[in-house]
Amino acid sequence: MFDTPSHTSTRREVLRSSALGFGQVALAAMLHQDSAEATGVLGERRPHFAPRAKRVIFLFMLGGPSHLDTFDYKPQLQRDHGKPLPFPKIRIKFDGTGNLLRSPWEFRRYGKSELLVSELFPHVARHIDDLCIIRSMHGTNVAHGAAILKLHTGSDTFVRPSMGSWILHGLGTENQNLPGFITICPTLGYGGVKNWSSAFLPASLQGTPLGHTGIPAPDATVRYLENKRVPRSVQRLQLDALHRVNQKHLGSGTASAELKGRIESFELAFRMQTEMPEVQSIAGETTATKKLYGLDDSVTADFGHQCLLARRFAESGVRFIQVTHSSKPTWDQHYGIREGHADNSRAVDKPIAGLLADLKSRGLLDETLVIWGGEFGRTPTVQGGYGKRAGRDHNPGGFTIWMAGGGVKGGIAYGATDEYGYYAIEDKVHLHDVHATVLHLLGLDHERLTYRYAGRRFRLTDVHGEVVDRIFA
Amino acid sequence: MMRTRPTLSAILFVLFLHVASQGSAQTTTQTASSSFWAFQPVVDTPPPAVNDREWPQTDLDRFVLAKLEERELRPSPRADKRTLLRRVTFDLVGVPPTPEEVASFLDDDSPDAFAKVIDRLLASARYGERWGRHWLDVARYADSNGLDENAAYANAWRYRNYVILALGADRPYDEFVTEQLAGDLLPRTDDDRVTNERLIATGFLALGPKFLAEKDPQKMEMDIIDEQIDTVGRTFMGLTLGCARCHDHKFDPILTEDYYGLAGIFKSTRTMEHFIKFARWYENPLQTEANRAAKEKYDRKLAEFEAKIAAIIAKANGELTKGGKPLPQIPEVSYSKETRAELRKVQDARNKLRDSSSLTTALGATERDVVDVQVHKGGSHLRLGKKVPRRFPLVLSGDGQTPFEKAESGRMRLAQWLTSGSHPLTARVMANRLWRWHFGCGLVRSTDNFGKLGERPSNQALLDWLACRFVESGWSLKAMHRLILLSATYQMSDLYDPRAADVDPDNRLHWRANVRRLEAEAIRDSLLAVSGLLDTTMGESLLKIENRKHVFHINTNDETSYESYLRSVYLPVVRNHLYDVFSLFDYTDASVINGDRPTTTIAPQALFLMNSKLMGEVARELATRILRGFSVSSAVVSIEDDHVRDLYLTAYGREPTLEEVDDAARLLRSFDDELMNTTSDAQERRQQAWQLFCQIIVAANEFVYVR
Repeated sequence: MFDTPSHTSTRREVLRSSALGFGQVALAAMLHQDSAEATGVLGERRPHFAPRAKRVIFLFMLGGPSHLDTFDYKPQLQRDHGKPLPFPKIRIKFDGTGNLLRSPWEFRRYGKSELLVSELFPHVARHIDDLCIIRSMHGTNVAHGAAILKLHTGSDTFVRPSMGSWILHGLGTENQNLPGFITICPTLGYGGVKNWSSAFLPASLQGTPLGHTGIPAPDATVRYLENKRVPRSVQRLQLDALHRVNQKHLGSGTASAELKGRIESFELAFRMQTEMPEVQSIAGETTATKKLYGLDDSVTADFGHQCLLARRFAESGVRFIQVTHSSKPTWDQHYGIREGHADNSRAVDKPIAGLLADLKSRGLLDETLVIWGGEFGRTPTVQGGYGKRAGRDHNPGGFTIWMAGGGVKGGIAYGATDEYGYYAIEDKVHLHDVHATVLHLLGLDHERLTYRYAGRRFRLTDVHGEVVDRIFA
Repeated sequence: MMRTRPTLSAILFVLFLHVASQGSAQTTTQTASSSFWAFQPVVDTPPPAVNDREWPQTDLDRFVLAKLEERELRPSPRADKRTLLRRVTFDLVGVPPTPEEVASFLDDDSPDAFAKVIDRLLASARYGERWGRHWLDVARYADSNGLDENAAYANAWRYRNYVILALGADRPYDEFVTEQLAGDLLPRTDDDRVTNERLIATGFLALGPKFLAEKDPQKMEMDIIDEQIDTVGRTFMGLTLGCARCHDHKFDPILTEDYYGLAGIFKSTRTMEHFIKFARWYENPLQTEANRAAKEKYDRKLAEFEAKIAAIIAKANGELTKGGKPLPQIPEVSYSKETRAELRKVQDARNKLRDSSSLTTALGATERDVVDVQVHKGGSHLRLGKKVPRRFPLVLSGDGQTPFEKAESGRMRLAQWLTSGSHPLTARVMANRLWRWHFGCGLVRSTDNFGKLGERPSNQALLDWLACRFVESGWSLKAMHRLILLSATYQMSDLYDPRAADVDPDNRLHWRANVRRLEAEAIRDSLLAVSGLLDTTMGESLLKIENRKHVFHINTNDETSYESYLRSVYLPVVRNHLYDVFSLFDYTDASVINGDRPTTTIAPQALFLMNSKLMGEVARELATRILRGFSVSSAVVSIEDDHVRDLYLTAYGREPTLEEVDDAARLLRSFDDELMNTTSDAQERRQQAWQLFCQIIVAANEFVYVR
């Protein structure tokens, strides 16, 4: 249904490539030429079936947070601390590990669902009845780069469009003055832009980064949005003049659709210069809201700001918003997990809880799918000995992510790992299945959301993916 | 066509005879699927008869006209001289014509005036830069590995410059292909420059992105081989061979066994030193005076290390095979921890020696132990099937192929097979690429896929005719440019015809010229050219980082600087973090081959043109240049009008209309009024107003679109 040839010479494709995502241009200019065709293109942006969610906020925890120390309590692991793992480890290991290491944190039951959450996430735990915890996640790759690409693009072998780009391809965007896919402070490492690139999909479907790792969230901006040299009033004169110059140059016929599209793109850019800073400005937020996200505390302020931006973008109709936690040392605690995970969770726990509460109070949670997780989990077996340096290795064989809102059941735990949390064993959910499920929640059939490139149809889930419909509300 | 290097051609010809006599170049096997057009031999059809005898300027035009006449369409009239000059100048060199070049072409009334322009442009060093960049798109050229471990390919620029110089010298395409696949295997010459070029050319095989941190060495090796097969297949043959890794190709007659027959060639080729995380790619030492001086000492030390390594491996392998156990495919992973540590220690020392040596090296290929590969069922190296001898796909070469030499990887034979002149795809695919880069759209629109899921040619007789002329010219790209550019087809205007648009909305039959947006590089180069900022010297590496070091990591920033006035082709291509100006304007991804860049229109492009530092600088320099005045004569009265005329000539290659001159004057006045609030100095206001005006002129459609 969404097939498009890989070249871009026909007007149909000009329309399509410019009619989506960041920088929807020229529809008005083109509509009068062939309104039936243009309407057809717009019509294709309807989902395949009734959606449960309108948008996604993906809270990406770079480095691989430990499921064993957060949302997947393993009593047997606590008991068998120091003993060897009684079954074989995965064939391809990232690094060597020793015997079993218990979690240094206490777990407590929360909410009506009485699900267990560790001390690392006391604030998030208060929303437990809204969380759908998937404890049987598994992936394919043990190294960060490949696992992160797999998570974001579905492939650790080839360059493929990212999840957000696919979603924009399927649904378009609600606000034509803003990018449809925004990633806040993403990491440039481990695949970098590939994790938000549109690959062979039209460029208008690529994610727009706001800053990157290391840039404080309040300073993160879209490139070239500001012009300190030319005042807005002068720029307006310039654009009016440019409009006249371009109008004179217009020919007739098919090529002029593209030329008209370009004329429109300047107008859109001008509007975006106004709208983007407005959405990014949190000056109008109440003190209570800022506090809710932890902006009053230096530990939580930066990630809190990212989460608050995510809510503002969600409100403004952005389709896919990613928030990345990747400040040093990330969640990659091969060594010193006790200190590392405590620092990381302190930075994100309150902001995430704030985001959930805020979305809920504004009635946005029902239509916004919030996803929390990393590229893999961690091993129940130890690295760095049992002292202060104790840590855990990468574990793609079994880990946890959670979802909230957007049509998923709250207060449930789905699937399970073995008694030590090494492998997913019950109701296993692969990353491909997550992709299929997310698309489904948005009203898209992962097998029908395809794009024709280099002679064949591609999809986010390749030949894999099963929708986990048992988590649907 | 004159061959630039008869020696190599002669060698290739002899080798070709050798291959041809083995009967492998021409398939005799007919399977049901091979009746597909792309697998059929190229047919040299004579140009068809046409009704309109006047319009065609060359035989090429008769192929185009015949198709138009079939649909009762007329080609659009010839473009005017200014349009034509602008079109051909962008096409061949990627920057706009200077006002002097425009004047000289307009003044030349001789019948071969346009041919002279073509010759001038083809002889320019700018040509190699422009067309070299096209080739770099299909070679998925980059200065870093990308993927998971974004390590610097600090020597990749040597391959890039090789491509630029080879195309500039009109290196015959058969030689160009052979050098890239097997340059290291060509007979050594006494000429260091030639030897090095050939070694550097094999960088083509080594430039792909690799998962250097993949923990499974066998998976990594097969992934790298897969990338090479896919690139070679799509670049030279327009075949998506990669599909056959896991299963017989679902649409093309390419079998899984065909895939593993080719995989043996690449598994027998060294582009990697090892596959153990972090894997290390191989680089060929080049022939230089300094290298030779350092070489003796270096070789001795290296040999010592290699002997030590070999001894450790022999001992460890001995232990593994005790009791007649078979040696695992990659034995290293099964060694004891101590042995691995010992091995790693010596290997590290060896690698350190390599790094510390002042040897000049280049990414590339060399031979290694020759092996055949087993079928990997479902693409998995854990489920091995039947061993396939190295060979070419059956549909193209039949099942009576002479076995590959036991002592050779087979890369040379691969090159010979591709360039024999009778391969059904090589010449077609390249002729189609040339057409694509001249017209914005290939005769086969899916330039990198000639298989069943690719598109059919819009004019197969023409494509085949071009392919024949290509081989006949001695595979000369420049001969092909002349053939295409001197045609009436190329010289049409873009005049719109509603009836033709109705019959052929996509202009597949070429009833008029396509209007095309400049590519990312041409936009930047043209901005620099008209503002006088462009530095036309040949660049080396602008990467500010040591070879093999990470360009950036999770918590570090990319320090790559693009603050240079060299042509865009010389700017670093950092995978995963391309120069944002390039990615804005549909630059290639630089990780996969792309012979058909798309054109998208997105608002961030406008933001760049409105607000970027580069545009500010370009506007300032252009305004300064215009106000300094470099026009010789003028029919217009006022000085300000004179400047407007200069600006239009510089940016658009044409005079402004009277209306445009008036508009400009009005606009400059309104800028002046607006600036009154902030700038009191009238001279300064004038400069600023001109900057604002210049920015509009180069941001406009007329500047970035070619008619």
